[in-house]
Amino acid sequence: MAPKAAKDPLKQWRQDAEALNYEEALQAADLLLNQLQNDATPLAELQQTYQRGQIYLERCESLLRTVEQSVLQLDPDTMTTSALDCPTHD
Amino acid sequence: MTADAPPTYSVGELNSAIGSLLERGFAPRFLVQATAVKPQVKKGHLWLTLTDGESSITAVAWASKLKQLNYVPADGEGVTVVGKLNFWAARATLAVQVLDMRPSLSTVLRRFEAVKAQLESEGLINPARQRTLPTAPKRLAILTSVPSSALADMLRTARERWPLTDLLVVPIPVQGDVSDRINAVLQSLRQAPPSLQVDALVLARGGGSREDLMVFDDESICRNLATHPVPVVTGIGHEDDLTVADLVADHRAATPTAAIVSLLPSRETAALLVSDRRRQLTRTLFGWLEKHRQRIDDRRDRWGAITPQALVEKRRSQLTQRQQLLLALSPQRWLARGFAILESPSGTVIRSIEQVTPNDSLVVRLSDGDVLVEAQAIETVNPPDGTNP
Repeated sequence: MAPKAAKDPLKQWRQDAEALNYEEALQAADLLLNQLQNDATPLAELQQTYQRGQIYLERCESLLRTVEQSVLQLDPDTMTTSALDCPTHD
Repeated sequence: MTADAPPTYSVGELNSAIGSLLERGFAPRFLVQATAVKPQVKKGHLWLTLTDGESSITAVAWASKLKQLNYVPADGEGVTVVGKLNFWAARATLAVQVLDMRPSLSTVLRRFEAVKAQLESEGLINPARQRTLPTAPKRLAILTSVPSSALADMLRTARERWPLTDLLVVPIPVQGDVSDRINAVLQSLRQAPPSLQVDALVLARGGGSREDLMVFDDESICRNLATHPVPVVTGIGHEDDLTVADLVADHRAATPTAAIVSLLPSRETAALLVSDRRRQLTRTLFGWLEKHRQRIDDRRDRWGAITPQALVEKRRSQLTQRQQLLLALSPQRWLARGFAILESPSGTVIRSIEQVTPNDSLVVRLSDGDVLVEAQAIETVNPPDGTNP
């Protein structure tokens, strides 16, 4: 049986980025940027490092653009949460 | 009864006539600003005297109304009473029936000053105690009235500014004698399970009169806020309103909306930062390539300097140098300048008279040939100090 083809790394990185919040994604992008700036990246990894950095930054932009704020109401007597019982949009 | 004759009443009729007159001729409700004197509860009803220092009148808040009042004055406090006249015909007594009662501004400010002085003396009001606000909080608690325009404003601002922060709205009453309730809510938040922990707390109330904000001068609430485990931001009333809660908070915002702005980063600023990072990333990539291209160019230059031709040229140059050095050291140069070398016929260089005896055959080498000579005599050269033996 032929060996299973390696997973598309771009797809994998995108999946990884999806799991990060804004701060984590920005930090990951900064880390890669530092690697590039410090000349610590070998040529073979140059393109990948760049692409991964772009993916993390895309994640940041996407979060800023599309995220819906989570608004819950807390009942301080029961310490349970529920949807806010008043309109949040004008 | 003549036209000039005064009317005649029984006591009951008189009292009834007075009551009727008052009922017809007096406003059904009115405001009285006064000092409350000796308020006391009797059989569930609050009795007090309202006075302006010269005149006074009895006032009563019936038990049913007393439960609804947001504020009950202490002796000597200034109050504004919404009331109506109560006339008891049986005894012709008159009292102001309290429909609502609020502290006067002077009362509010006196309480503010008293609580402020107390908490200042204990060090709870001290700018050095103010904690740094989180830069991008994961979750905020918003304590305010629900629903309210202040809440709507805050939610709209949060949505526009930074939707990545979760908001936990905690309803509280924000007016009147509600300090116990607010304290209970603050206490609950202190003991919240990890899943409901927040990074900061906003205490907010929309505009109103300064008197309406009196609960935020409550000593127990302010102590609770001052020692709350996460930073507290207040946005209470209008810009000019200052309460003790504002003074113990880690940050005082002028309005509820400003409180949200002080805690949440700007989405536009963050978007600019991200696009700047994008440019930086691309710039760095090209910088990397350029730097490495430069390195290759350097290597190429260095390789160019060591071609076979260049190496032969170098060796040739070294050889020439050596030849010139050898020439400089050659005896031929000395012979050309007039010096001669004396040798025995066998070729031994004669360095001393010790090597020669009279009649020895010798060879004198000059620059252009040899002369064969014979030693006639040997003379010792006198040393310079004349010590000839």
